Amino acid sequence: MAAPPTPESQYAAPRAVANKRDKQNLLSAIRMALGIESAAVRRNTQTFNRNRYREAAALADYDALKDEARAIKERSITNLPELLNTLERAVRSRGGHFYLASTAADACRYILGVCQSHSAKLVVKGKSITSEEIRLNHVLQGAGIEVAESDLAEFILQVADEQPSHNVAPAMHYSTERISGLFKRKFSTDEPLETGEELTKFARGRLRQKFLNADVGFTGANLIAADTGTIMLVESEGNIRMSSLLPPVHISLAGVEKVIPSQSEMGVFLELLPLSFNGKLTSYTSFIRPPLDDPPFALAGRPRKKREFHLVLIDNGRMKMRQDPVLQESLYCIRCSACMNSCANFQTVGGHAFGGETYCGGIGGAWEAATGALENARFSDLCTGCSRCVTNCPVRIDIPWLNEVLRDRLNRASAGSPLSSLLGAVSAVRGDDRRASAQKIFFANYHWYAKWGTRTHGLSNALMRNGLARSVMQSLLGVDIRRELPAFPARTLVRAARELPPPAAAGTSAKAVLFADVYTNYGLPERGIAALKVLRSLGADVVVSDAFPEGRAALSQGMIATARRQARRTADRLGPYLDQGRDVIVIEPSALAMFRRDYNHLLVGASRYDLLRTRSFEPVEYVARIIAKSGRPPRDIFDVSRSPVGPRLFYHSHCQQKTLGCAAPTENLLREIGFDVATSSVECCGMAGSFGYKREYYEMSMAVGGDLYTQVQAADQPDAGGPRALIASGTSCTEQLHAGLSRPVMHPIELLAAILKL
Amino acid sequence: MAAIAQTSLIDLFVARATEAAAKVERISRSSAEIRAAIARATDGARSLVVADGELLPAEIFNTARSLPGVIAKPNDDQLATADAGVTEAFAGIARSGSICIAMGPPLRATTSLLMPLHVALLPADRIVERPRDLFEPKRIGAEAMRRNLIIVTGPSATADMGPLVRGVHGPHRLHILVLE
Repeated sequence: MAAPPTPESQYAAPRAVANKRDKQNLLSAIRMALGIESAAVRRNTQTFNRNRYREAAALADYDALKDEARAIKERSITNLPELLNTLERAVRSRGGHFYLASTAADACRYILGVCQSHSAKLVVKGKSITSEEIRLNHVLQGAGIEVAESDLAEFILQVADEQPSHNVAPAMHYSTERISGLFKRKFSTDEPLETGEELTKFARGRLRQKFLNADVGFTGANLIAADTGTIMLVESEGNIRMSSLLPPVHISLAGVEKVIPSQSEMGVFLELLPLSFNGKLTSYTSFIRPPLDDPPFALAGRPRKKREFHLVLIDNGRMKMRQDPVLQESLYCIRCSACMNSCANFQTVGGHAFGGETYCGGIGGAWEAATGALENARFSDLCTGCSRCVTNCPVRIDIPWLNEVLRDRLNRASAGSPLSSLLGAVSAVRGDDRRASAQKIFFANYHWYAKWGTRTHGLSNALMRNGLARSVMQSLLGVDIRRELPAFPARTLVRAARELPPPAAAGTSAKAVLFADVYTNYGLPERGIAALKVLRSLGADVVVSDAFPEGRAALSQGMIATARRQARRTADRLGPYLDQGRDVIVIEPSALAMFRRDYNHLLVGASRYDLLRTRSFEPVEYVARIIAKSGRPPRDIFDVSRSPVGPRLFYHSHCQQKTLGCAAPTENLLREIGFDVATSSVECCGMAGSFGYKREYYEMSMAVGGDLYTQVQAADQPDAGGPRALIASGTSCTEQLHAGLSRPVMHPIELLAAILKL
Repeated sequence: MAAIAQTSLIDLFVARATEAAAKVERISRSSAEIRAAIARATDGARSLVVADGELLPAEIFNTARSLPGVIAKPNDDQLATADAGVTEAFAGIARSGSICIAMGPPLRATTSLLMPLHVALLPADRIVERPRDLFEPKRIGAEAMRRNLIIVTGPSATADMGPLVRGVHGPHRLHILVLE
């Protein structure tokens, strides 16, 4: 029996916790979002996410389109000053007005001036998140002008006085029931306000009168072509068409980054932008060069005025962003929302928690920092670096990297503490990285504690289960007491491998080094031993490296200098193996992702990076390659009937493994061997390394995990064939599955080792 | 990729526009048949507005204006309250099932937006394969670049109030007559 719903009034109002400069606001916002908004946020974002995947899979040249879009945006931002000049000429040549505002206040002042010059009493607005950035409504309303938000989502937000929770569907945190309650409180009407149809009809009726009587129509712009001055506007409701067509005065506001060189390049975005949101073209996409030739609308008794058009572009931090070697990339954003819809954390709390005053989601931190202050990006702590957004971004922005750099800058901007300095010094954290919180330094140095924990495993494991010790850890280091900490093994992978009997004959099918990543070495060494057993039985010559941190833990805490030093050392220490012609096998997917993706940032210009990127493999991926090369059917090598967990599996691949494209080999091989494999479709388990261990994020992490648990339970049902054994490739995923379901979890390589035909 | 024959483009267009909740009929270009199809599509509409075309012969629109309920020269108050609007479509997009409305000629923009029902006459030879083809410097591309265009995919819609609701500020119903 579920607990009765909590009254909304016990939670913080979204607007009150919009700015998360103060971390307490972030925590209150998470609590509010989990309490009130999560169900609607999940339903909507996950629907958008599924629809995008379905349509993207059907588009043969999806990757080529993304490359084209990226190239156009890169060129646009590089040539932005010239493009703005070209655009200004194009707009003026058609009789339009062009204004480049340096700040939010400047833009508001100009727009207010235009409205006042027409003695405007009513401004009707199409959806514009940029107008939220500059707080335009406050300025206009303060001057006595009525502002009618006509996008139904913005209409809801205006009635509720809330900030957007999503950049395309800004009120997607509202369920029909909550909108019904809101409207009943705010409007006195005889009209029914229960169903989606009724609520839409009510809003439509009110707004129709606004459109017909407005003095000024206001819209944003999705893109602007410099050569012709054409603005592209994407919508579904018709509010933008109305706002740009009916009133005599049209004001369009956009950030300078929306300008691209030419109208002919808009075709790429006409396909990619709606696809990346909800899969298909929305009802209306306008390509207009105002002022329009069509006469403006005038109901009986109103004078028919001459058309006037103002294009207002704002800098408000963007030109500075353009000079920033890292944040520059966020100017490529076309605000499609694919990053937020593919983010497990965002799917669970939405943009009121994972967002600031205007911008939200993984990309939102960079925008809040650039258009406001660095501290406004503190909510980007909710980006776990899972990387699912990376392959879904139509302009290929490396959003986790943006957030790691923001975290690094926030760490450096903080005062530090004696405990941070002490922990940092003991664990050899790079100088300025010691200003990070003690919690971040602790998690960044997992390898250091794990090494000592393993050396003293009897004592350390007892301490991990000691209530007092855990209380101290919780209060000093923010490690949540409700999380079971993984036990340290008696023998590390490196030591256990040394004690294995030497292989009978030197293998010839492949040459590799098994990287003793710290998570496997000090946490789950049996996975490494299983990998050795399988690979050697397939005739591979495999050795085991020493254990050293590859930098993932430090990177995820935003300690980039430390991560970079660890990356260089790792490349140096694995170099000799690569020189011997060995491939690198990495069991923990987040460590593998360092080699394949993140070292791109940490080993800039290093020749080792290309070698590591192209020659590092997930273990089952590598096994599948060897088998494919040998031409042997997998069933000749593995026997499903030997499975210690039976033939029915539930396989959950790791988020970074999915991004790297190496989840499929495991699924395929298990099926070829004869297993009945159900798979999870969640983007991430919610543990995400340190995230789920952190005291302030524990509830959120478990809520994210809820989707995975639900999928496991559904696959266990009799109509799906009955219970399945849990298989997972990530260390964190293993912990998270175990935490939520209290069931054993096996790595696929362990399962393969157990079913080898000897 | 090999160019798709125009006949399969029409088939694809019809399928996709139907998926996008438009009603689609394929008819011949005869004025009488078009008039009859408009009459069926606007059955129940008390007042309708027919905007002039540019691609199709004027006779088609003149014949349509002989339908009962047509307001020949509507003022803006009549436009705001009419039940149905008839316009020509500038082009069609097969993959998305979209039509394009080129603004400019009198009544074209308002007639495709303000009324609960929009009936669009789409010449079948104006259907391109994919959205970006509109801006490729091919047949339609050159013209498209000079026009104010609205790409219309199904009736206006929202999911902001929870479930998908068709019919918000723009037309609640879209009826496309593909003229072969």
